[in-house]
Amino acid sequence: MQTLINILVLASIYALISCGYVLIYRVSRVLNLAHGEFMMLGAYGLLATASSFGAHPFAAVGVASVMALLVGVAIYFVLMRHMTGESVLAAVLCTIAVGILLRGLITLTWGAQQHYPMEQLGWVNSSISVFGDARISAASLGLIIATAVCYSGLFLFLRYTRWGIQMRAAGQNPLLAAQRGIRLNGIYALAWGLATFTGGIAGMLIACDSGLQTTIVTIGLKAFPATLVGGLDSLLGALVGSLIIGTAEVLLINYVDPLLSDVAPFFILLVMLIFRPWGLFGTREEIDRV
Amino acid sequence: MPSSSGYFRTHYDQDLRFIDTRTQRYCLWLLLAWLAIYPFLATEMLLDLANQVLLASVGAIALMLLTGFAGQVSLGHAGLLAAGAFTAGILFKEFAAPVWVTLPASAAIGAVLGLLFGLPSLRLRGLYLAVSTLALHFIVAYLGGEYEAKRGFSSGIVIDPPVLFGWVLDSAQAWYFVLLAASAGTLLLAANLLRSKTGRAWRAIHDREAVAEALGVNVPAHKLLAFVISSSLTAMAGCLFAYFRGFVSVEAFTLFLSIQYVAMVIVGGMGSLLGALLGAAFVVLFPYGIEWAMAILPIPTRWSGMVFAVDYAAFGLVMIAFLLFEPQGLVGIWRRMQNYFLLWPFKQQLMRK
Amino acid sequence: MNKSLVTLALLAAGIGGTPWALAQEAYVVGLTGALTGPVAGTYAPVIESMKAYIDQVNLRGGVNGKPIKLLIQDNQGEPSKAAADAKKFLSQDHVVMVINSSASSTYAPVIAETKRAHVPLFFAGAVCPKEVFPPAEELQFCSTSFAAQYDSQMALAFIKETAKEPVKLGLVAMAIPVSRGEIDYAEGLSKTLGMTPVEKQIVPPPTPDYTPFSTKLKEAGANWVYSWAPWVTEIKTVEGLRKLGWSGRYIAWAHIQAEEDLARVKDSDFYVVGANALFQDNLPVHSEIREVAKKANLTYPVQQLAEGWVSGMVLEQALRATAWPPTAEKVLASMSSLKVDTKGLRGGPIEWTKSNHFRTQQYYRVWHWDTTKQAVTRVKDWTSYVVK
Repeated sequence: MQTLINILVLASIYALISCGYVLIYRVSRVLNLAHGEFMMLGAYGLLATASSFGAHPFAAVGVASVMALLVGVAIYFVLMRHMTGESVLAAVLCTIAVGILLRGLITLTWGAQQHYPMEQLGWVNSSISVFGDARISAASLGLIIATAVCYSGLFLFLRYTRWGIQMRAAGQNPLLAAQRGIRLNGIYALAWGLATFTGGIAGMLIACDSGLQTTIVTIGLKAFPATLVGGLDSLLGALVGSLIIGTAEVLLINYVDPLLSDVAPFFILLVMLIFRPWGLFGTREEIDRV
Repeated sequence: MPSSSGYFRTHYDQDLRFIDTRTQRYCLWLLLAWLAIYPFLATEMLLDLANQVLLASVGAIALMLLTGFAGQVSLGHAGLLAAGAFTAGILFKEFAAPVWVTLPASAAIGAVLGLLFGLPSLRLRGLYLAVSTLALHFIVAYLGGEYEAKRGFSSGIVIDPPVLFGWVLDSAQAWYFVLLAASAGTLLLAANLLRSKTGRAWRAIHDREAVAEALGVNVPAHKLLAFVISSSLTAMAGCLFAYFRGFVSVEAFTLFLSIQYVAMVIVGGMGSLLGALLGAAFVVLFPYGIEWAMAILPIPTRWSGMVFAVDYAAFGLVMIAFLLFEPQGLVGIWRRMQNYFLLWPFKQQLMRK
Repeated sequence: MNKSLVTLALLAAGIGGTPWALAQEAYVVGLTGALTGPVAGTYAPVIESMKAYIDQVNLRGGVNGKPIKLLIQDNQGEPSKAAADAKKFLSQDHVVMVINSSASSTYAPVIAETKRAHVPLFFAGAVCPKEVFPPAEELQFCSTSFAAQYDSQMALAFIKETAKEPVKLGLVAMAIPVSRGEIDYAEGLSKTLGMTPVEKQIVPPPTPDYTPFSTKLKEAGANWVYSWAPWVTEIKTVEGLRKLGWSGRYIAWAHIQAEEDLARVKDSDFYVVGANALFQDNLPVHSEIREVAKKANLTYPVQQLAEGWVSGMVLEQALRATAWPPTAEKVLASMSSLKVDTKGLRGGPIEWTKSNHFRTQQYYRVWHWDTTKQAVTRVKDWTSYVVK
């Protein structure tokens, strides 16, 4: 039972991070390798707001989330907008460069020590018992709920709202979408904003659960195989992929060798890339050259 | 590149020549002379920097062949360097193998890995290929780490300086000449490959695969060949790295190293061997430049202890600047400068490839 | 292409810089350490504190009338960067001693460089390599509080002494060679002490969730868990175990973050074993550190500064014993027979001899959080081990 809970927690960590990769890729065909850094920025943002709004934890979380959203929009307008029309590799490298920049700036601002935003907010990460003897921490439960809310929200948003439909249209055929009067820049910026928003939330919750340090950024990279296994342009795929990778990791830790859990995601990814590169639920497409 | 100099090629043979004019020949001699006396003039620090640049240039040229010419993206360069270094380290530790065994062995391992790295390229392109090489990077790093842990080399494998023809390579000067030879050798090999049928086939694949195939180029074979050649050169660079630094450990081969190599190619200028050299020099010297700038500029004292973080941030900024404003890299700038002087006093036209 | 290449190289060669000479009016020492990067949390506070200590020595007039010039280079825990740093110190700055405060992966290149130049190498706040234990390698010295094997001996002896029931021991390491090696040693040792090692978990460093690892320990039925790893792994595993409702006892090495985290976790069954006196002891030297930290406006919490302070004391003492003008040989000679009074920060003096570059006696204390007193309290006072 505990194993099941562990899988669920790990999978929702990955899933919440993955949906950022998917949103951006699906809409603008750019792979955002700075996603781990955006996650980290969200978490440090919470740290900053927690120290200034210490008395109102919910306000701190709210402000930090809005900040995460705005960062994405800003990055798009300042930077990624200029990368349209460039080769895919250039755009990807640009995101890597943004990531390096952010990492440097964050280290300069907050230093290397461990922080505990949960304590700063005045909350206690209590342990809740579920299904008999299995237990889960409050922050992990929050993570699962946040993942569920984000995914169902995104699903409804993409299916029923005006902006969501426009977003899908822009992803399918930007030229036609633009000719139908869809403002591509706005849509792309929204996608970036949503991606950094969900990433930021993931970062905040992980930081709440197990403390915050600059190493959090590697978790973003670990979620990446999950996204690809599911298919880079499918939200459902990201969910399933995260579940597969999460399950594989937890089972390896439990029954084989914990060390393997570090490489297994990449191994699964490699197998997937050889046999079905577009992922379980992704669309098969002509992929750009350098 | 006699494009706008008033010098014209009148024969196909001339297209194949490395040296076109007398001035070029004189310049080359001057350069060689300078390179020969450099180690005796430079301080130890400058010599070490030169060595680092020369070593990086081998890897950068290898990556340029693959990415800049054959058009295959790779984010697994650090993994290949690690493979070469570990081959040297393991052979040295387990069998006390001399350098003339470990270097070819590294090249062979590199070639095998190149074949493996290359296999996905037959099915994948662009982004997905980059990701698959990324995955291989992690797997190589894992294997290296396991070896270190299992054999108890907790702080890395220490390697003795190599002996070449009874001559122990332990001074910076000696290394300078070895690395210079390695770098020049790689450069000549690459330049020769590029003007051969193989090089032309790579460029055709880079520009459009379907057309290349229609022209009779065996696309899968040439793609794999690009991977094999690039990887074995890189692995050899890794082997040299192991001897040069005197140690091997997984932590030296991070993902950031791969990114640095990609940055060399980007900053230098895609599709140019000169670009690879310029990029290697730029990326290697950049942190020292930042450090120097921080020493003389008034900056917050809080930052002075964090040179690396500043360096990191600045590196990101420079990469962004190049991607946004100078996609042709340093080579683009260099060509524009050259044209300016060639055409002076006339206004230069914008050169777009 | 070639012409451009040739001319450019000429240009570049022409700019070749001039060497900037350094006035040797000070004891010049070079430190390469992880100020940033993934492992910085363990080393940056040590470096910061050491620098503050040396600044303060210089304010009082330095040693033997000359200031100490501590050059600091950030290596991010990366071996290649550490190698370049060491090279720079030795070739450009002509330092008389090199200090390493970084991850063990940086040791090999720095050792290689210092050996080539025959300059003493001092490990401060970084895990002591086996070369500093007797019989010690000529050039390597270490003042760091933690030491392979002795730490596990102390921790397991404490478990044996405290446990009333038969011990089923769980072990936790991080997937880095040093930590794995020590935990393997502890596993063997526990068997000789009559304990049953039931589970050994090796946690890879970037782990989003520690619960799966903790689950395994809990399900193996461990009633004591021992961890000797970087602090992240130690603390996150115990927190993970508690989240699962595990009620056993946990002992871990007291890294510099221990004092704050004991007070944060407030868990009376979580013990730490360490060699530096905690700040709650309030010794005169502690208030001195507090004062300096406040004045210098240091980034890291004062509780994390003891380790670097001890390193500073050792450095000062070693240079004080070296007559002006200093050479690497002279510094080496003074380091090879040195006795540093740690003013209570350690259980006794740090003593280096010709064959022992670690210390002749290693002292340990054990602490935990006392729920009735609502404070971190000592459960075992200085226990000494003779280092042979």
